[in-house]
Amino acid sequence: MYWKYALKRLLNAVFIYVILIFIFSALFNVQMEQTVYAQIDERIKQETMQLKDMKPDEIREWAIQRKAHYYTVYSLDKPVLERVFIRAGNALIFKYGNSSLIKSSSGSRDVRIIVTETIPRTLLLFMTATILDILLGFWLGIKKAQKPGKALDKTTSVITMVVYGMPSWWLGMLMIMVFSYIFKVFPSGGLTSTPPPPDGSWAFFIDSLYHLILPVITLLVIGFWGRAFLTRNIVLSTLQEDYIMSARARGVPERKVLYGHALRSAAPPIVTMGLLALIVSFSGNILFEGIFSWPGMGNLYWVAVQQNDIPVLMGNLSLTTGLYIAGLAILDLIYGFLDPRIKVGGKA
Amino acid sequence: MKFADMKDSFKEFWAEFSKEKTGVIGLILFALFVFIVVFEPVLLPFEDANDRWRDITYWADNPKSAPPVWTNWFSSKKKATTESYYDYTTAEEDLGGMKVVEYTFDYDYQFDEAPNDIILHMDVTGAPMIVVKVVRPDGEEVEVYYGSFNAGNNTKDFRLSVDNNSRDILYNFAVPFENRESLKDVKAGLIKTTDTLFAKAEEGILRSPVSLKGDYKIVIQSIFMGENDNVESPYLIMPGKVSGVLGTDSSKRDVWTGVLAGVKWALLIGILTAIVSVSVGVVYGVISAYLGGWKDAVMQRVFEIFVSVPLLPVLIVMSAIFEPSIWTMIGMMVLFFWTGSVKTVRSMALQIKEETYIEASKALGASNFRIIFKHMVPLLIPYSFSSMALFIPRAVVYEATISLLGLGDAQIVTWGQILSDALSGGAVMSGLWWWVVPPGLSIAFMGMAFAFIGFSLDKILHPKLRTR
Repeated sequence: MYWKYALKRLLNAVFIYVILIFIFSALFNVQMEQTVYAQIDERIKQETMQLKDMKPDEIREWAIQRKAHYYTVYSLDKPVLERVFIRAGNALIFKYGNSSLIKSSSGSRDVRIIVTETIPRTLLLFMTATILDILLGFWLGIKKAQKPGKALDKTTSVITMVVYGMPSWWLGMLMIMVFSYIFKVFPSGGLTSTPPPPDGSWAFFIDSLYHLILPVITLLVIGFWGRAFLTRNIVLSTLQEDYIMSARARGVPERKVLYGHALRSAAPPIVTMGLLALIVSFSGNILFEGIFSWPGMGNLYWVAVQQNDIPVLMGNLSLTTGLYIAGLAILDLIYGFLDPRIKVGGKA
Repeated sequence: MKFADMKDSFKEFWAEFSKEKTGVIGLILFALFVFIVVFEPVLLPFEDANDRWRDITYWADNPKSAPPVWTNWFSSKKKATTESYYDYTTAEEDLGGMKVVEYTFDYDYQFDEAPNDIILHMDVTGAPMIVVKVVRPDGEEVEVYYGSFNAGNNTKDFRLSVDNNSRDILYNFAVPFENRESLKDVKAGLIKTTDTLFAKAEEGILRSPVSLKGDYKIVIQSIFMGENDNVESPYLIMPGKVSGVLGTDSSKRDVWTGVLAGVKWALLIGILTAIVSVSVGVVYGVISAYLGGWKDAVMQRVFEIFVSVPLLPVLIVMSAIFEPSIWTMIGMMVLFFWTGSVKTVRSMALQIKEETYIEASKALGASNFRIIFKHMVPLLIPYSFSSMALFIPRAVVYEATISLLGLGDAQIVTWGQILSDALSGGAVMSGLWWWVVPPGLSIAFMGMAFAFIGFSLDKILHPKLRTR
């Protein structure tokens, strides 16, 4: 039963999400509360400034009362474990509260707005890069698998290993240094020029494209060799199956063997890898976005770490985790639908 | 396993592995890294760099942001290199109540661009007068320093930086040679002292100095009046316009030293993280597969939770919360990296579990522990090695990433920290490539070495991917 499988998988995803949120809240609890204490102190200070006709003693007493009041409001008077639960509960219903420093582009301090406005920007960059990456990698991988061990295959495989341990942000640093500061060809970062061209115009589109080129090329240079290598391995091992041999023996032309027979069974894992890369890119690449000052989720995370803005950090982390887990679950659902063997639960 | 068996299987393995060219290259690179770690004390140009990397005074005598020495090969204008001079000639003169000791250093200057500075160090006791003169090849004599230094009854290090100290002196020295028109454009406080000191005494000495090549003498006269006054072991350092194998950064640190010192940490982080996390993952996968049933289900749930964690964000948060040290960092990486091999191992172990010899040893009453560790895990050792090799680059990159955010262990020198300093020091904007390229390239080389090894092992293990 597909719906049974789907329900099970979804429940599993929700279960994992809840547990992770609890772990994160426990992890953040101490830090989180420090910001809350600071916020309360600040607010009481402001309130006392507005007070009139009160003696110093009265003010002091009044401040203590207010403090107690706010502690109950933010449930700081409860035991630690309960506070972790409350915090996790809030995060689960996407109530992240207000940031301590960071503001959204419209000036709001609501963490939900701050985080969600960065998602499309991250997607723009990483979707573009991943799609190009998949297309190029797929094409090169098949070329490699057609003539394994020949010059093209060997050289590109070596390049794959050369870039294997290369951090993408380092290449980004180099690219910016070379193409933005030494030869001033591309902008050093950002989503658009400042001030941006009018929204929705062609100029805006071209400007965004211009800003996309350098980061996308960097991601491609790092990524697509690996994708090609994986594609090659999958296609190559499919090409050694018996049914391919029998197809060849029957005199099926090689082109047809490759595209009609081999790719049909090799495609799902290759597509999975691509989609998985896409899902991972939801969270943005923290350093990569930071280096290119791309105002996406990753960059927000970096800024939040540097400014110690815990509510934003927590909101960003739980949204990222949520998107990631949801993505994995959806991937599984699609495959369960396409491939009946998966539904049984790996017993095939 | 007997020793002879091991030797045989190793021989067999080596026969296969040595056919993989890339694998052998990887091994050679790895050997090179090990060589650097072993001979680090000999190779390091600055011996105490490991302990004093962040100590500004230790690096004070280096030039700031100087490119590598070998950039001179590609340039028609030869820039002065960093040199130290410990050899000098001594002359003593007794003038009744005074004693004058004169040390003379020879500096054979054959560059087109002058050094950045002249730095003099001496151990001074008491309170002598010190005079420093530079005698130029054209016979001109410039007194760049005149003053007394009071060390009391102790011995103190006297340090003179001509660049900072003698700007006005050099300006006054040059003024007679320069024409009036040019003088209007030159600000006395902004001239480069050494450029003027090593320039031809002609028009343009301040505005566009042309270097005067030849033998310079740097003469240090110490005049002792007290009984205890003494001066010992003087030495000169000429911080060049180019310096060291890989140049210096904006805090005057030698980049080559940093890169060398980073090798051992990268190896430690990479190898330790990989060994521990793969071992944990393999054992976990085997146990899960072997036990089966509800135990397997629970273990798989736990595994799924760990897999669903977005790794980098959580690692960053954890390193921000915990005291950043290399060991906690390795621990945190292991905490999440072990999941990498579980899935494959479990499916492999499920197959092994069905083998008849497992059944046989069960029938003989072998304990679970014995079956898992004696009969199942050893079969997965080849796989473990290849996946360890591929884990090492990941661990190195993660460490560098966390360090780049400034959350690394501040007690040690890692490539990530050099890059972090480069990023915050504006190396990208000002194009100081010798500061950005080498540490990143080292990370890439280390990744490459283990990727070469790992992929070759992988190829041996999966004969289907073979091309021969």
